[in-house]
Amino acid sequence: MSEIVKVEGLSFRYKRGTTPALQNINLSVKAGEFIGITGPAGAGKTTLLSCINGIIPHYYTGDLKGKVEVNGLVVAISNFRELAGQIGTVFEDPDFQMVSISVEEEVAFGPENLGIPSNEIEVRIQEALQKTRIGHLRERAISTLSGGQKQRVAISAVLSMLPKVLLLDDPTSELDPIGTHEVFSSLSELNRQAGITIIVVSQDVERLVENADRILVLSEGKLALSGTPREICLKRDILESVGVRVPQVVEFTISLFSHLGRPISETSLPITVDEAVPILRGMFQEAGVL
Amino acid sequence: MQPIIEAIDLHHVYPNGTHALKGVNLKVNSGEFVAVIGQNGSGKTTFVKHLNGLLRATRGLVRVNGMDVAQQKVSDMARLVGYCFQNPDHQIFCDSIYKEVAYGPKNLGLTSSEIDERVEEALNAVGLIHLKNEHPRDLSKGQRQRVAVAAVLSMRPTILNIDEPTTGQDYRDGLEMLELIAQLNRAGHTILFITHDMRMVARFAQRVIVFRDGEVLLDGTTREVFREVETLRSTFLTPPQITTLAHAFPDLYSQTILSVSEMLDQTVALLNHRPVN
Repeated sequence: MSEIVKVEGLSFRYKRGTTPALQNINLSVKAGEFIGITGPAGAGKTTLLSCINGIIPHYYTGDLKGKVEVNGLVVAISNFRELAGQIGTVFEDPDFQMVSISVEEEVAFGPENLGIPSNEIEVRIQEALQKTRIGHLRERAISTLSGGQKQRVAISAVLSMLPKVLLLDDPTSELDPIGTHEVFSSLSELNRQAGITIIVVSQDVERLVENADRILVLSEGKLALSGTPREICLKRDILESVGVRVPQVVEFTISLFSHLGRPISETSLPITVDEAVPILRGMFQEAGVL
Repeated sequence: MQPIIEAIDLHHVYPNGTHALKGVNLKVNSGEFVAVIGQNGSGKTTFVKHLNGLLRATRGLVRVNGMDVAQQKVSDMARLVGYCFQNPDHQIFCDSIYKEVAYGPKNLGLTSSEIDERVEEALNAVGLIHLKNEHPRDLSKGQRQRVAVAAVLSMRPTILNIDEPTTGQDYRDGLEMLELIAQLNRAGHTILFITHDMRMVARFAQRVIVFRDGEVLLDGTTREVFREVETLRSTFLTPPQITTLAHAFPDLYSQTILSVSEMLDQTVALLNHRPVN
């Protein structure tokens, strides 16, 4: 698979910042990957997204070192118009992002500004709404929607620009459980069916573990960990030390295995409830409890 | 014992016609630590806003400390019931933390030494006394959240309603916030906290009230409520992972599991054929 996002030796300090927000980040994302980014407040997660979508250095300036490329475009020397066709960003609070009254206008806004012909815009609106399963909301006023619906409108409004990479900055922190479920289902479907590369920042490690191919853990501007969800979960001590909440299933299994003197390996560690049930059942059967 | 909060057939209809509460009946005793959960729009926030008179019942009655809230002034209720908004920035408006926390007591007409004492006490409780001269703008969101709590605490309310105290915070800040609330509960405050974080509910709440479509769907101890997996699922709520895992073996785990350490103890006992306590 081809590399779609490349980050090399990236460091950044905000103009008025005393300490660097990012220090020597290296990252390679392949087209079609689903990447989760987590870490405590102030770890540099939003700054990293801003370096990938061009908000840094085009909007926020500071001391930037290293290089970021998106689909071959060098972000620092490309304009927003070029970047907009490659990369779309969805923020934490959907209300912050919306500029229109109705869902349809919101989703049409991006392509209209690019001067796309109206019959093509119509196709894009339909496809974007269908991909997030909100076609039935097309005529609705945004103000009447639930948080999960609004966030899917925000995603659709970005999808209508046909980006290859979707960045999302903590898109579910303001949502209720239904909304969170709706957004993560949409992301997973967009990734699997439309092949869109997803890079999502979230505090919800359990959701990232279920959905991501790879998880990055940032702490104090540095990449503290990077790997598959299973590899990350095996480093429970590091996760805890940087203040990331470890999934309960992982915490339990590691403690149980070490109590029983069983080896824990990448192949034996369950990271979701669905994976843990058969393993626990096997242990009960072996012990003659079941 | 007389309940400190009592809602009797409480209805609320917003001016736009939304029937947000459809006959809520419940009692809360003094000193309880209650989690209020449910989807957005289920009536949680509407309910707690009736406790200090921010909203008035369309039908039915709310009593706090035996008094009909509808007969009281909001300013009088503020001494008894504190309400922390979901977003601290909707609440904070002064240009120093001291002024923010002093605002309530000042309006009670207290003397400046009494105000000082209350501000000190509240800021000590939230661990921000060293920042009392700072501008709220210069604080992190987690710190501003704690300023908002201190501003309510300085009124020394008996009942503390806290709306989604961990939203937008990282795990450590969220945990710290709830530990603070638990400490206030131990000091005698009755706590109602609205949240979507089921792990925090399992860890801190003694009782859980689940709202759905303006009605109370479930009300019981945390263990009783998290046992009702199917009912919770009907409103898209899922108990914590560890509770769900234990629930897959209903014949083995005698009671609802609420924490990893409970699960570990019981699992080890089961595997060693020891009785599970």
